[in-house]
Amino acid sequence: MSRWLAACLVVLIAACAAPALERGSPAQTRLSEAEARAAALARSGDYAGAARFYGEALRLATSLENPDAIAANAINLSIVNQWLGRDAEARAALAAVLDEPRAGFSERRKTQAELRRAILEAASGNLGAAEVWAGEAERRCAPGCEYAAAILNVRAQLALDAGHAAEAARLAAAARERAQGEAGRGEAANALRTLGRARAAAGEPARALEPLRQALEIDRALGDPRKILADLTELARAADAAGDAQAARGYQERGLAVSRAINDGRGAPETEGLLRR
Amino acid sequence: MSVALPPGRFTRLVLKVNVFLLIALALGAAFMGLVAYKQGWFVRQSPLHFVTPNALGINKGMPVKLHGFTIGQVSELKLAEGGVDVQLSILSEYLRRIPQGSYARHAREAGVIGTAVIDVVPGQGALPLAEGALIQFQPARGISEIIDDFRRQAMPAFNEVKQAMSQIGRSGEDLTGILAALRREVEQLPATHRAVRQLVEEATKATAELNQQAGSTLAATERVAHGVDRALPALSEKLTASIESIDAAAVQLKKTGEEAQAALRSARPLLDRGETAAREAGDVLSAAKRIWPLSDSFKDAADGMLPIDSFEAQGKGRAR
Repeated sequence: MSRWLAACLVVLIAACAAPALERGSPAQTRLSEAEARAAALARSGDYAGAARFYGEALRLATSLENPDAIAANAINLSIVNQWLGRDAEARAALAAVLDEPRAGFSERRKTQAELRRAILEAASGNLGAAEVWAGEAERRCAPGCEYAAAILNVRAQLALDAGHAAEAARLAAAARERAQGEAGRGEAANALRTLGRARAAAGEPARALEPLRQALEIDRALGDPRKILADLTELARAADAAGDAQAARGYQERGLAVSRAINDGRGAPETEGLLRR
Repeated sequence: MSVALPPGRFTRLVLKVNVFLLIALALGAAFMGLVAYKQGWFVRQSPLHFVTPNALGINKGMPVKLHGFTIGQVSELKLAEGGVDVQLSILSEYLRRIPQGSYARHAREAGVIGTAVIDVVPGQGALPLAEGALIQFQPARGISEIIDDFRRQAMPAFNEVKQAMSQIGRSGEDLTGILAALRREVEQLPATHRAVRQLVEEATKATAELNQQAGSTLAATERVAHGVDRALPALSEKLTASIESIDAAAVQLKKTGEEAQAALRSARPLLDRGETAAREAGDVLSAAKRIWPLSDSFKDAADGMLPIDSFEAQGKGRAR
C-alpha cells in the first residue's frame, strides 16, 4: 500500500514540477531585457524611450529568428509610434509582420497586426484601407477569437464615419455582446460609446444617453482619462440635442475639467468650443 | 645411396619445433602488446567533438593539449552539416579536468610558428564535460587576419602621429614668423631705451613734487589711523567670535560627513545583500509562478503586449 502511495506521490510531483529556469543565450537575455525595459518605459509614459527599446527588441528578435517575438515587438513598436504621432513609423513597424508571409507568424499575431493596421488607417482617415484590414482581421479571427469585439468596434466606427448610423449601431451592439469578461471591459465601453454616437447620429439623442453613461461608468472604473473625456463630450452633445441644456452644461464642465487636467491646464479646443456654445 | 646419420640427432624433433614456435609466438605477442600499449590501446579514451566550418590545418593524430599538456589527439574528421565534425579522443582520466564551457582552438606551440595543436581552453563551469560533448571551436587566425587586425589597431596611432607631424610642420612656419617679429623688436630696442630713460627722469621730478604734497596728506592719514585704531579692537573681537563659530560649524560638518561616509560604507554590504536577496526572491517568485497550479493564476494576460484598443481608431490615441 505504502509503495503505491509513494509511486502516486512521485507521479504527482513529476506532474507539478516546473521546467528548469532557462537562462538562454546572451542574445536571448538581451532580448528579454530590452522587452522588459520597453514595457516599463511605456508604463511610465516615456514613449520615445519605449519605442527605442521596442526597436532594439525587434532587431534582436529578428537576429534570433524568433517569429513570435518579432511580431510582438513589431506590434508594440507600432502602438508606441502611434502614441507619439509617428504614423508612418507605426505602419513601417507592422510591415515586419504583414509583409513577411513566409516568416511563420501565428494566426493570432497576424490577426493582431491586421487589426492594428486597421486602427492606424482609421485614425489617419483612410477609411477604405481601414475597412480592408479590418476585413482581413475578421476573416482570420476564428469564432471566440479574443479580438472579435475590437474588430467589430473598428468596423462600427468606420460605418459611423461613413454615415451609416444604423449599420454602426448594429456592429457596436454585436461588439458589446462579444466583449465579455474583465479583459473585454475596455472594448465593451468602446462599443457602448460607439452605440451612443450612432444613436445620436440617427436622430435619437435621448436613447444615446444610456449607453454613453454606461461607457463612462466603465471608463472611470478602468481609469482612462482619454476615454472619460470622450464619454463626457459625447454625453454633452447628446444631452444638448435631447434638449436637456442643464445636463449638457454639467457634462461640458466636467469634460473641460478633465481636458484641462490632461492637457496641463489647457482645455482641448473641442471641449472649450462645446462649453462656449 | 643413404647417408648415415648420427644416432639421436632427430630424437624429440617435434617437441623442439613446438618449443621454438611457442617462443616465437610469445615474442610476437609481446611485440604486438608493446605496440598496442604505446599506441594507448589499453588506456580508456573519451570522445569529444566540435564542428568547424573549415578544417584546414587540422589533421588526424594532431595532439590535443590542455594547459600545454597533451591529453589526447584528433581521432577522426568527417564532413557534417555546416562544416567538418572533428572527433577528439581524450584520455578519460583527464576529461574531469575539462569543465563545461571549455572550448577548443587551433594553436601553434610557439605562437605563429611551431607544431599545430588543438588547445583546449578551460571554461568557468563547475562540472566536467560529459563524454561525447560538443564543444565550441575557435579557428586559427591567418596571417592576413593578423595583419588586418594589426592594421586596424595601428591605423589610429599612425593617423595621430601624422597629425602631430603636420602640426610640428605648421609650428615651424609660426616659429619663422616669431623670429622675424623678434628681430624687428630687437632693432627698435635703442629707441625704447631712450624713451625709458626720459620716463625715469620725469618720474624723479614728479616724486620730488609728490614728497611735498605727501607731508600734508600724511597728517590727514594719521588722523584717520587714530580713528581706525579705536574701532579696530571691537571689530577684531567680533571677527574672532565669528571665525570661531564658523570653525566649530566646519568641524561639526566634517564630523557629520565622516559619520555619513561611515554609515554609507556600512550600508553598502547591506545594500548588496538586499540586491542579491531581491534578485533571488525574483527568481524564486518567477519559478513559483511557473509551477502548477500557481501558473494558471499568474498567467500573463497580455504576454507582454501593449493593449490593442479600438478607441485609437478615432485618432485619439496620442494623448494617452
